Amino acid sequence: MKQEYNFSRRFFLKTSSALGALAFIPRGVKAFYEDVKNYIIPTKEQIPLKVSINKKSYAIKADTRTTLLDLLREDLNLTGAKKGCDHGQCGACTVHIDGQRVLSCLTLAATLPGKEVTTIEGLANGDQLHPMQEAFIQCDGFQCGYCTPGQIMSAVACVNEGHTKSVAEIKEFMSGNLCRCGAYNGIVESIQKVAAQ
Amino acid sequence: MGFFDEPFDFNIAAEGRVEGIAKVTGAGKYSAEYKVEGLCHAVLVGSTIAAGTIKSINVANAKQVAGVIDIITHLNKPLVPGLADEAKIKEARLGFAVFHTDKIYFKGQPIALVVAETFEDATYAASLITATYEKTEAKVDFKEASNAIPLTSAGKDRGNLSALDSAVQVVEQEYNIKAEVHNPMEMHATIAEWKAPDKLKLFDKNQGVNNVQRTFSKLFAIPVDNIEVISEFVGGGFGSGLRVWPHTLACIMAAKQLNRPVKLMLTRPQMFYSVGYRPAAWQKIKLAANSDGKFIGMHHQAKNGTSVYENFNEGITRVARLIYNFENLKTEAATVPLNLSTPTWMRGPGDCTGDFAIESAIDELSYKLNIDPVALRIKNLALDKNPESGLPWSTNYINECIEKGASMINWSNRKSTPSQLKEGDWSVGYGMAVGAWNAGRGTASAAIQMQRDGSITVQTAMTDIGTGTGISMQNIAHERTGIAKNKIKIELGNSNLPPAPSQGGSNGLSSIGGAVVSATEMLKSKLAEYAASQNDAYKGAAVNDILLSDTGISLKNANNLFISYASIWDKNKLDILEVEASSGPGAERQKYAFCSSAAHFCKVKVNVKTGKVKLERMVTVADGGKIISEKAAANQMSGAAVGGIGMALMEEQLVDEKLDSLVANDFAGYHFPVNADAPIIEVAFINKPDPNINPQGSKGLGEVGIIGTAAAIANAIYNATGKRLRDLPITPDKVLLA
Repeated sequence: MKQEYNFSRRFFLKTSSALGALAFIPRGVKAFYEDVKNYIIPTKEQIPLKVSINKKSYAIKADTRTTLLDLLREDLNLTGAKKGCDHGQCGACTVHIDGQRVLSCLTLAATLPGKEVTTIEGLANGDQLHPMQEAFIQCDGFQCGYCTPGQIMSAVACVNEGHTKSVAEIKEFMSGNLCRCGAYNGIVESIQKVAAQ
Repeated sequence: MGFFDEPFDFNIAAEGRVEGIAKVTGAGKYSAEYKVEGLCHAVLVGSTIAAGTIKSINVANAKQVAGVIDIITHLNKPLVPGLADEAKIKEARLGFAVFHTDKIYFKGQPIALVVAETFEDATYAASLITATYEKTEAKVDFKEASNAIPLTSAGKDRGNLSALDSAVQVVEQEYNIKAEVHNPMEMHATIAEWKAPDKLKLFDKNQGVNNVQRTFSKLFAIPVDNIEVISEFVGGGFGSGLRVWPHTLACIMAAKQLNRPVKLMLTRPQMFYSVGYRPAAWQKIKLAANSDGKFIGMHHQAKNGTSVYENFNEGITRVARLIYNFENLKTEAATVPLNLSTPTWMRGPGDCTGDFAIESAIDELSYKLNIDPVALRIKNLALDKNPESGLPWSTNYINECIEKGASMINWSNRKSTPSQLKEGDWSVGYGMAVGAWNAGRGTASAAIQMQRDGSITVQTAMTDIGTGTGISMQNIAHERTGIAKNKIKIELGNSNLPPAPSQGGSNGLSSIGGAVVSATEMLKSKLAEYAASQNDAYKGAAVNDILLSDTGISLKNANNLFISYASIWDKNKLDILEVEASSGPGAERQKYAFCSSAAHFCKVKVNVKTGKVKLERMVTVADGGKIISEKAAANQMSGAAVGGIGMALMEEQLVDEKLDSLVANDFAGYHFPVNADAPIIEVAFINKPDPNINPQGSKGLGEVGIIGTAAAIANAIYNATGKRLRDLPITPDKVLLA
């Protein structure tokens, strides 16, 4: 603990003296470096990736900036995961990584090797819908359907996590998935139904 | 084209929406999700000032980015014939014609479009574009700007306002509502592809494909039929998809310029200033009553924000002429131009805003008169006729909505004096309000295609934005033909299908239902015509006597006349039997007035230490005529109530007057209800058909679900705390400071 403190203190001192030194560089030189910085356009980097999605392996080349969400939607034509904000604020892009619910818009594709991704397209067992998918249909747990894949992936995780002891608990643990249509009645009912099975 | 084009093999017994499987499996394609060969990606760049003129745009750095194909600005845009000169731009009524001006009207206004091979390339390049401007003064403060704008008459005066002076009780108060943003979960997106120089294909998020088709037919001077608009799955709208917005035009222009298909999806921050919003509003109400609670009259004044380049009058005072009898009535309104983008219709437009003020004032009056708010409303309802037109209501069961809702929430548990019920740090209270909406109907068309095996496909261009249009069309077709639901397919949201009005203003099902009924009748007659060649009894058979089943045709009250579809098909060498019908409003509109209505009740808990408001219960009862799809209708109502909770307690478009701009334009800054913010909404219907509005007897529900909800919540907060809050949203700080 003390070690860490010393390190960061030393780091701080170093950085601030470097910044202090910067103040002594003549104005023209600084402006020159600013200009150069503005004109250097970083080249894009593509890296080879091996990813496993819905138990299928893909060997692909991906932009280092590509998120899992854009990889799914733009490159792999798996458009079930939805883009609702691209900021990790709405939950529409929820997928499972190694069984945990994760926001695919905040996950870089480059972090995926060695992990198993499950999307809404991989939830059904062959031609048999997942019980949560059945429940969402029966309980009308959606209207426009855009947040639905994310809701269902979260709902499956919510049941697995055991957060289904009351309506209030379900609502709390499903509050990372926004639904502007307000189909929350049916979403809660669907989860209750599956949790009771 | 249809929901069933994807071969779904799922064994599903569950009865749900026609598009249910597509939605729960992720197979349904929303507009940005279609695979198009050679597709490139576009990202919009917005202005960084709110008012002025563009002096220069620096695109040099952006052009160096690998993958960038082109950058479109007002300096190098392709020719759009319908916007070729100032006169044509005006005539096009787009509000603001993107890339056709160097003037800046609001911050974030698109000034450039970057098109690149990938989304990442386009996004990065867009971040490198800069511009210089000649800045002028911007106005974004609604409150400040509205002071200078005079009110003008909004509708015919009734009686004389001086009558209010003789009243025993008067409420005179002001109400303020912050701007709200639709924010459907799917961000607006377009894929534009020019199939030929005069042939355009669009995958577009909107609420009315025919409207989009007509707009671009005019702008690009090409025949309507040369434009195909596909909007099969629409991720919510709430009004934001009722207009054609600049980004769609920008995308089409880029596709034209590059001769390549282009995809453009707005970012969430862009959604706050690109596709409309419910404008900020100021209102003043003066409401007067006799000691027995009879309303003497009302003076309703309202102002709403608009943009500097277009006038949008929300019609806030319209609802003053719909629900109650006021012998003396004066309504006035004004719009306040601001350097913000143009607002637009948002769920329950105008009425939702106006109703909040009126229903709050009535509640306030009820305490002054010491009359129960339920009784006060029932006493003053305009139950027999529309108070404005004088036409008798075709049906209006708003009183039954109120009575049913009161019983559901156990209204008798409410204390008539505020802040009587306490639970620790929480004050508990009950509130109610009502809402109504002119129930409209447009002319719509539907087609039915029948196969030899008796299965049918019902088609329309109308979109289903989540309202349940598809399942309702299936239910109507099933009820009218007797053909099993699993043999009825629905295809919609495509401009190649029979035309229909946009899905909006609670007119969707009201319009398309009649067309489906007409098409089923035409199908029956056509089948009877073919059957007549095998049995004379079918000759000239009345539609009501013709019975269809899964396998064939028969006649009512006549035995042994069954003829199978198979034999009709074989004898007449049929492939597919196709009928198309249109249906719309008629003379009944001159005889009757039509409205949907609803009553909303809630029980709230208000924390006296933190000011937090928690909805304990929310009950909503609607008169929507005959309910065609119970689950979808209940979903509409409960969803609208959730929207009402947002309006009442949290939704607020923040505007920074110093920066001339919107701030916090994302879901961290703009809050609408999450699951935990809403209780399980309790919904009920009166479910009595309206015999005149359309053949199926249903009235729209989308708007009445939300109109009145915010007032019900504010009224409950008063009942709980004795604090009358007249400014929305009622955030904890307002509760504490009141």
